Amino acid sequence: MTAQDQFRELIEAYALGALDAGEREALETHLAAGCPECAKALEEARFLVSQLAYLAPPAEPSETVKARLMRTVRAEEGVARPRTAKTRGASIPFWLWAGVAALLLLSIYSTWDARKLQKEVQEVNARAAAELKRREQLEQELTLAKHEAWILTDPSSKKIDIMPNDKDMPMLEARWHPQMGIYITGQKMPMPKGNKVLQLWLIPKAKGSKPMPSHTFWPDANGKIGEMVDDPPEVMAQTKALAITEEPAGGSQQPTSTPLWVGGVS
Amino acid sequence: MTSKYGDGVSSDATLVDRLLRRDVSAFEELYDRHSRIVYALVVRILQQTPTAEEVVQDVFLQLWRNAARYQSTRGPFVPWLLTLARNRALDHLRLKSERQRRREDQTEELPAVAQAPEYEKALDEKRRAERVRFLIGTLSAQQKKAIEMAYFEGLSHSEIAKALQEPLGTVKSWIRNGLLRLKEGLQTAS
Repeated sequence: MTAQDQFRELIEAYALGALDAGEREALETHLAAGCPECAKALEEARFLVSQLAYLAPPAEPSETVKARLMRTVRAEEGVARPRTAKTRGASIPFWLWAGVAALLLLSIYSTWDARKLQKEVQEVNARAAAELKRREQLEQELTLAKHEAWILTDPSSKKIDIMPNDKDMPMLEARWHPQMGIYITGQKMPMPKGNKVLQLWLIPKAKGSKPMPSHTFWPDANGKIGEMVDDPPEVMAQTKALAITEEPAGGSQQPTSTPLWVGGVS
Repeated sequence: MTSKYGDGVSSDATLVDRLLRRDVSAFEELYDRHSRIVYALVVRILQQTPTAEEVVQDVFLQLWRNAARYQSTRGPFVPWLLTLARNRALDHLRLKSERQRRREDQTEELPAVAQAPEYEKALDEKRRAERVRFLIGTLSAQQKKAIEMAYFEGLSHSEIAKALQEPLGTVKSWIRNGLLRLKEGLQTAS
């Protein structure tokens, strides 16, 4: 076998990229020397090797690939397109450009106008929602005020003085209406310490009964209390006293401290 | 080169000529026509869909940006495109780091255009693909495996011999004889 034959035998593997370094370098030197027979064989071998791609199982790229590619290509095409007088003037008549421009302007205006209207509708909706909410709050406040006034003025309400255990603390007053609830008022109240709240308890007359938990509340920034308990159980006749303790935030099911205020009901 | 397409359908060479004039519609037609085989090849090499899609995008962008470097008078378009896609995919397969990949991408090396042999004109692409699959299917399992390892995994003779635990000379013969049988089979079909 001649050296030529030996090189010729390497051509297909070279086109495939399978030659190891030594053989590859030797063949490349031979090709660089200008062997026409091997050069022609290599052309054919490259074609032959490319046909192996058809051994790959069929597969299709996602639409995203094409979309991304076309976006890039169109962007580059827009940048690189030569702007000659011919392409600009002769191929597309002026009236068509004018029409396109008018349509474009109309489209831009329509989009702008639609967005503006959309924004206005959103603002009006937001204002209406805020107004509705405010009205609901006012109605709630009005109902509460009527409720309070009823309890405070109705002769069937029972007045309860709630006395402090500490003489430096203010006295509170409660009015308990059999149907409307309990309204507690007070002034110059200190704010509970730490993460504590004030909690109202209904102390039953029956021996061995546990205190019934009721609302938790705080005085306002001026030390005032105006707490409405509009859902007390109908147990006025069975209640010996009202008591107020300091409890952890969220209240307790049973008192965790000694009452700070106590007022006898009957 | 004769057109393989019917009346009103541009040949690849015509589309590439239009591509040189920055004709986006010609590019889109080439993509629609050949993206499936390019993607199938790349995904077979990389075995990863997201990277394969990235490589396919690179390949077609190279085509768009460097169409002038493909010379239609020297050989058919599809083998050139497939070689470009295979080279890119194997680059990705071999590279160890993203930094390396960027550096090699910047070289934008394009493959030589392969001269079409006589049998290229005898069969259209679909029939030639079927013929290739049939002919390779007639090889022994080991021979087919060796050729596929070289083509799809970019392995050399000695790497394949080591992987298959076969003598180097045997692997060389398998690959060369397999390719020659493929060539003869394609020639016979013409």
